[in-house]
Amino acid sequence: MEASALIALTTSLTVGLAAGFCMHRSDFCLAGAFRDLFLFRDGRRLRALVLLVTASAVLFELARVTGVLPYYPFPWFAPPATINLIGGCLFGIGMVLAGGCVVGVLYKLGGGSLPAAVAFLGLLAGSALYAEIHPVWILLAKAGTWHDRAATLPQLTGVAPGWWAAGVAIVGGWFCWRWWRQGLWRTPMQQAEGYLPLWVTALVLAGLGLLSVLGTGMPMGVTTSYAKFAAFLEELIAPGHVAQVAYFTAQPILYTLPHGGPQLAGGGGPVLDVVALIQFPLIAGIILGALISALLLREFHPRWQMPGRQVLMVFAGGVIMALGSRMAPGCNVWHLLGGLPLLTMQSLLFLAGLFPGAWLGGRLFLRWTTP
Amino acid sequence: MTIENIELDIRGQVCPSCLLLTLRDINKHHSALSEGRVRLTVLIDSRDATSTIPPAVKNMGLAAQVDKVEDYYRVVIARPEERP
Repeated sequence: MEASALIALTTSLTVGLAAGFCMHRSDFCLAGAFRDLFLFRDGRRLRALVLLVTASAVLFELARVTGVLPYYPFPWFAPPATINLIGGCLFGIGMVLAGGCVVGVLYKLGGGSLPAAVAFLGLLAGSALYAEIHPVWILLAKAGTWHDRAATLPQLTGVAPGWWAAGVAIVGGWFCWRWWRQGLWRTPMQQAEGYLPLWVTALVLAGLGLLSVLGTGMPMGVTTSYAKFAAFLEELIAPGHVAQVAYFTAQPILYTLPHGGPQLAGGGGPVLDVVALIQFPLIAGIILGALISALLLREFHPRWQMPGRQVLMVFAGGVIMALGSRMAPGCNVWHLLGGLPLLTMQSLLFLAGLFPGAWLGGRLFLRWTTP
Repeated sequence: MTIENIELDIRGQVCPSCLLLTLRDINKHHSALSEGRVRLTVLIDSRDATSTIPPAVKNMGLAAQVDKVEDYYRVVIARPEERP
């Protein structure tokens, strides 16, 4: 294996292990960040997300000005399109119904949650479904592109990224300071064993985001791999059909790892390519990190106690979330932890879609779980 | 006076069902809980709910005590005088 590939693989695995462990300890649920605001008027996790995005913006900008950032902006971020908004909204609905986002499902799965396993299966089904409609969706995506001039606000406005990052740091920092003055970062009066405060995990995740960028050239992302898992499974059942699905046969991604080596191809198909090289170790790491945390706390105990209607809701949530992430394209972790700190317009639109999506998801969740 | 104990086992359910179902049961038995006739014992395995249930319960004029039991958590909800 090339040294650059080995660096990318070990970076992803390390980032995943640390992220999975800390997210399990804090129950750092990004779906909950949006859902709880609407369902319970509880902003704890959304505040932690603001801290995470602010810290990431500062770290990424410091890395850029010191010349250690391999790519700027990060690869695969394109100019904005209406599909980013639609995808974000669908993703928001799905993540609330599924009880966690694409990464939340992984750490909960590692922690022994069977609802997360159902959501995982829903994500695979949704990814396989998207592959069937991909050709039509791509046509809509092209028709809905707003412009093709720039991917980020600094590029669009011609104002240097440093000014934008300073703006994010001042506004985000002011809010975080204000919440600190109001005592809103305080640890809850009662909490689970081994609890890690949300602000600690937010800062750890910001550091891990930077590590991911330095080692692999891009921020954390997992959803193309859900399509790959679906393709691997579908190939076992209907190999002839998989060979005819354009989304599974195409290798549209061309990527050169930051530490040298040849240009590598990647895509959503059932092959071990550059996407698998970067994302599979991250996924395995998150599940393993959470599993280690749960085992150390003696809390790993899968229980099948969901009412039937809840199983259906969680599975449907996984399907909707996968469709949203493929349509957007990109998941909440990719956009909120990677694109948003750089002010990519795709990510801003995805975020704008997440809020109404999470609100609607919350209404549906209430109706389904407390009839 | 003997206090009736009502148990709600909501382990293994999707988030945030734990908080929602606990609040639903508190509302159902609120007067009995406030008068000290009933104590609600909730069994959960959601780590987050151990932090969210107590303040929500406090806002409803009751008190909650969280304890770890083997590989799950037990939340006892009663009126503050009972010191659950």
